Amino acid sequence: MKLVSLMKKEFHRFFHDPRLIVTMLLPGILIFLLYTFIGEISHSDEKRAFKVYLSGNSAAVGIIEQAITEDGSEVEWLPVEDEEAARAAVEEGEATAILTFTENFDLFGEDARAGIVYDSASEDGVYFYSLASSVLIGVGMRFPIDVETVKEDAVAMTEFLSVLLPMLIVCFIFSACMSVTLESVAGEKERGTLSTILVTSAKRSDIALGKILPLSCISMLGAVSSFIGVALSMPKLMGVSLGTLGGYPVWSYFLILLLILSIVPGIVALISTVSALSRSVKEASAYTSVLMILVMVVSIVTGVLPMMGDWACAIPVLGAVIAMQKVLAGGLFLWQSFLAVGVNLLFTALLVVIMTKLLSSERIMFGK
Amino acid sequence: MQEIVRAEGLRKTFTLSKKQQKIERTGETRRVAVDGLSFSAYRGEIYGLLGPNGAGKTTTLRMLSTLIKPDAGDAFLAGHSAVKEPGKVRDVIGFMTSELKLEGFFTPAYLFDFFGAMHGVEKDVLAARKRDLFARFGIDKFSEVQVKNLSTGMLQKVSLVISIVHDPEVVIFDEPTNGLDVLTAKVVTDFLLELKGMGKSILLSTHIFSLVEKLCDRVGIIIDGKLAAGGTLEEVAKGDLESAFFEIYRGAKGEIA
Ligand SMILES: Nc1ncnc2c1ncn2[C@@H]1O[C@H](COP(=O)(O)OP(=O)(O)O)[C@@H](O)[C@H]1O
Ligand SMILES: [Mg+2]
Repeated sequence: MKLVSLMKKEFHRFFHDPRLIVTMLLPGILIFLLYTFIGEISHSDEKRAFKVYLSGNSAAVGIIEQAITEDGSEVEWLPVEDEEAARAAVEEGEATAILTFTENFDLFGEDARAGIVYDSASEDGVYFYSLASSVLIGVGMRFPIDVETVKEDAVAMTEFLSVLLPMLIVCFIFSACMSVTLESVAGEKERGTLSTILVTSAKRSDIALGKILPLSCISMLGAVSSFIGVALSMPKLMGVSLGTLGGYPVWSYFLILLLILSIVPGIVALISTVSALSRSVKEASAYTSVLMILVMVVSIVTGVLPMMGDWACAIPVLGAVIAMQKVLAGGLFLWQSFLAVGVNLLFTALLVVIMTKLLSSERIMFGK
Repeated sequence: MQEIVRAEGLRKTFTLSKKQQKIERTGETRRVAVDGLSFSAYRGEIYGLLGPNGAGKTTTLRMLSTLIKPDAGDAFLAGHSAVKEPGKVRDVIGFMTSELKLEGFFTPAYLFDFFGAMHGVEKDVLAARKRDLFARFGIDKFSEVQVKNLSTGMLQKVSLVISIVHDPEVVIFDEPTNGLDVLTAKVVTDFLLELKGMGKSILLSTHIFSLVEKLCDRVGIIIDGKLAAGGTLEEVAKGDLESAFFEIYRGAKGEIA
């Protein structure tokens, strides 16, 4: 009962303050604008002419061609006579890509595979790759796609964005969580309104949960707004308009939403704990900013370094970022995503326990 | 005469932080704030802990209200041990200090209900109490005004009323008039007398002689964390509380610095 009253109070505080609501929804709008802008730059209306070597065949080819022509570009399919020569042509920039299908690919046989070879340094190559791979993922994901880039050292635009985007999301989530949590926890401690609650017989664990649960829900609003921003910009980002059968498949949107939501309580609990330890909002926000920069830097580094294995997903908060990067780079990373979500929930629970301890500590709450 | 609060050999030592050592220009790392303090307060009376700054009044009242734990000793409030049953104690006491604040965003009515819920007061009981107390202290006209927009005096009344939302048997008040202008201070002293009239037991701390003379039935003089004298106001003051205090002070510490 007391927990319910504590939670209601936080919600009441938030939903009766228009200023707080606006701060919460802003990140999504920003992401959308930002990525629409980047998308416009990287995929201008320029008409392209692709030359693609095709080995084997599939109904997907027709869909890819349709998507390309719908955009006003054209594609010329060339048969692969000499594999070496075709590779060389892609490498030289004379051809856009090599697209291969195993025999009876459309029957979804056990060994059905598709392959794309492209030059990640060439804009046309990246464009074709993102379009073709999203069509293939859309057609069905029961088979693996072998992706190969001819110049190893180049970082493709999409890869770059798939690294940058999750980091940006985390950055926005962090600031959304920060704006409500610092105000609510560090602010209440500094202003002495938290002590007023500590004088009552409310359990310390209820007080901790009574902060972390509602603040997480509220911050999730901000996170969902960020997610909508991302979801709206994803197709643009991939250079495929929403109308075509392209873009990321539905489940990848779902996974990303889940990952985003799982990060929120972890970050809220983290900021709450830091707030409880700090004497003032100023002090708490200084520590929180350091944490945020740390998470951002590490998430860029882990995204770029390919040697970080799947188990990196087991790192609280960061794991979800890594999982998001994987999903955005294309592919169904189910267990990695759920691992990241689970770890985040455990992490939150641990912080609730720590927060309860801090609230019970007379040195922290009533020390000089 | 029924005992309602009993402190038994309360003791509290703090570790001084580096910063605190610097501020107070001292090399000592530990400070005995309260040193074996015992006293009793009785039902329906106002008990005053009188002492200079740093004597250990706040620390004592915080131990009584279970916000901090004594290193040794215990206190009993309406029969409940502060050490063993802190939750029970919090429900039988109302604690007020100027450090406890109300969130400016909310209205008195909202906060009354909220803190009522924090003490587990039944909804209908709470509603009746709210009507009664708000009318008695003239808060009813302001019950839907955000606390941040209230005048200082009204805010003080609201804080006072909210501290007794759960109808506590004992009201503990640390430095009730400290930092208040004369009008607001009067709001507080009137409130305390009103509470006494309602049959509540009150325990307050202060360094102001006149406040003790005006309000208290019984007084304990606390110096360096120890009870230097205690009894009814007449027994301790012997007609003049101020000179009695300084005599006791000299007896305890030697000359006045
Ligand atoms: N949390 C604390 N940490 C360290 N020292 C403290 C703390 N609280 C009080 N003290 C010290 O204990 C002594 C008694 O303080 P206090 O109980 O606040 O006195 P009073 O309320 O009578 O002015 C003072 O010397 C004070 O500096
Ligand atoms: Mg004091």
